[in-house]
Amino acid sequence: MPTEAPDNAPQNAPVLEVQDLSLRFKGAPANIVDGLSFAVRPGETLCIVGESGCGKSVTALSLMGLLPRGVARVMSGTAIFGGQDLLALPQRALADLRGDRISMIFQEPMTSLNPSYRIGDQIAEIVLRHRPVTRTQARARAQEMLERVKIPAASNRLDDYPHELSGGMRQRVMIAMALANDPVLLIADEPTTALDVTIQAQIIDLIEDLQKESGTALIMITHDLGVVAEIADRVCVMYAGRAVEEGPVAAIFDDPQHPYTIGLMSSVPSVGPRSGRLATIGGMVPAIDNMPDGCRFAPRCPFAGPRCDIAPPLAELGPSHRAACHYAPLESAFAEAAG
Amino acid sequence: MSLTTRDKIIETRAVTKRFGGRKSLFKPATSVSAVNGVSLAIKRGETFSIVGESGCGKSTLARLLVRLLTPSDGAVLYDGNDISALSEQEMRRLRKDLQFVFQDPFSSLNPRMSVGALIEEPMKVHTTLTRSERRQKVADLLNRVGLRPAFANRYPHEFSGGQRQRIGIARALASGPKVIVGDEPVSALDVSVQAQVINLLEDLKSEFDLTLILIAHDLAVIRHMSDRVAVMYLGEIVELAPNDALFDKPLHPYTQALMRAIPIASPHGRSMKAALSGDVPSPLDPPSGCRFHPRCPHATDLCSQQKPAPVPVAGDRTVACHHWEKIADDGQSPVQEPPRSPNAEKRFALFRTRSQQKEPTTATRP
Repeated sequence: MPTEAPDNAPQNAPVLEVQDLSLRFKGAPANIVDGLSFAVRPGETLCIVGESGCGKSVTALSLMGLLPRGVARVMSGTAIFGGQDLLALPQRALADLRGDRISMIFQEPMTSLNPSYRIGDQIAEIVLRHRPVTRTQARARAQEMLERVKIPAASNRLDDYPHELSGGMRQRVMIAMALANDPVLLIADEPTTALDVTIQAQIIDLIEDLQKESGTALIMITHDLGVVAEIADRVCVMYAGRAVEEGPVAAIFDDPQHPYTIGLMSSVPSVGPRSGRLATIGGMVPAIDNMPDGCRFAPRCPFAGPRCDIAPPLAELGPSHRAACHYAPLESAFAEAAG
Repeated sequence: MSLTTRDKIIETRAVTKRFGGRKSLFKPATSVSAVNGVSLAIKRGETFSIVGESGCGKSTLARLLVRLLTPSDGAVLYDGNDISALSEQEMRRLRKDLQFVFQDPFSSLNPRMSVGALIEEPMKVHTTLTRSERRQKVADLLNRVGLRPAFANRYPHEFSGGQRQRIGIARALASGPKVIVGDEPVSALDVSVQAQVINLLEDLKSEFDLTLILIAHDLAVIRHMSDRVAVMYLGEIVELAPNDALFDKPLHPYTQALMRAIPIASPHGRSMKAALSGDVPSPLDPPSGCRFHPRCPHATDLCSQQKPAPVPVAGDRTVACHHWEKIADDGQSPVQEPPRSPNAEKRFALFRTRSQQKEPTTATRP
């Protein structure tokens, strides 16, 4: 396989390192993703958190080479995976990687499974595409994968069509497909958002177990801070196309630095006893034709000041914990109100 | 519950809704009881929530409560009067009191009507206001839900999800209702917008003396907003209790499993547990006895044979389980959140203070 990571790579070298990624939709005056950098290591789970339109899903699509051609394009950046830049690879090479070394799970399994093929055949197809195996071997692998994702009576399910399965079972099939070729990197885009809470718990459990078994690096895209707390090692908070804060999961929850992170966390109702009215972030995400030049959160930020006309860089505020705010830590800049 | 008729605004008596059932030449008629023999009473002025997973019948029940659906069996009472057999025309008069806010603000507003016309329509049907009075009220309502009165001339597609939900709420308020049913009113919205709409609903509820019936699958939203909560499973209410009591000490094994499955938004919280295996069975062929027994870790033979009736329990609650006394949890709430770190606490407080200083410039720029 031409894309295998070199054997002499140190164990802790990132599986994927994205630097200064910028994406833009055709005709848009500003970047939809702007100068994004992150890295994920073997066995590590990186959660990318943000609300609709923050650019988290387009980022994933760009890494997979799945951005719609002629609609969106890469303005800058590199994404080094196994010594190669994903953003510079030709489509053929990317197609060899997808479903093999890098896999993706989408939010809505019904739209990502082909409704007119049996699920066993769909999993076997992925194995056949990337491995020198026979049809029988591929089918055996499909059954093995269905067992690994704990689909009951897997051998009887191989010939089911997607519509015969429940939402949770379909998502298990998607996971089986994604992991069929033992990928080095798995990207999951809101994999449990469409599921009920008890089914979500099953799927998250499953993803965590399989990841532990295989040592796959996982990039999980989600808007749910509960899921983040559950599964993440590191967290990258995105707002309007930029990373506003990044760090280990404990630092993000215990020492949140960016006003957007703080606002987002305090807008989530708690499952514990009620503690008064919810705090809110006023206003809404700026439209792409109305992006501020400086900090993109400034128009909604209760702390915004004159310095925010200049985009703040991600600055180190703790061990591998960085935030993009001129006024962080906020309590020292706004001491008068802190008391 | 010893509620008098005056306290009860809506009541159901063994209400059932069946769907389907068309006969074919080769198959017997099959029908689904989406709601199966539900009896409950909603108190005037409370926020009553119905929670459950997809297909449990919560949306059907909500529609039955305000007669958007006609029950197949049983009765629905509004203000003590049976409304389950009223004609369309008689119902129309009651629609003034009973309004609905839908989940999807994208599909529940007529795209060809201006926002002003959408909000004015219920007033035309239900009130005797003159045209200029209606216009004035549209402006007031828009203002009240945090939108500019000038938006009356625009069309729904020009607005974001959160703004459309505000328009839907203004329209629901236009007839001067006493009850508003919200079917997942915030679940399609982003977190920060969701918080704005939750606060708005709470403010309006107290300002207009509304009774709020909330359908939701998000247990955190339920905990935050409700007075009492009904938990549904496969068309039946398995547990009904005051909000805090339910979350502190869930009695029914299904409620317990739901609560353990909630992810807690703290890396130091207990980790979520997939306490239930398998999927919800098909309502076409519901399990015998207790409908939950095939997934229940405590099920016995009794559970597969005999349906447990809802029994009253101290503290104004009911539970439908043969074994609830034996399986009561150890007293530890399954949703306890660990305290926030001092740094997080400090900055959350700072954020709150600073945002309040900046208000009321909230939410409403086009």
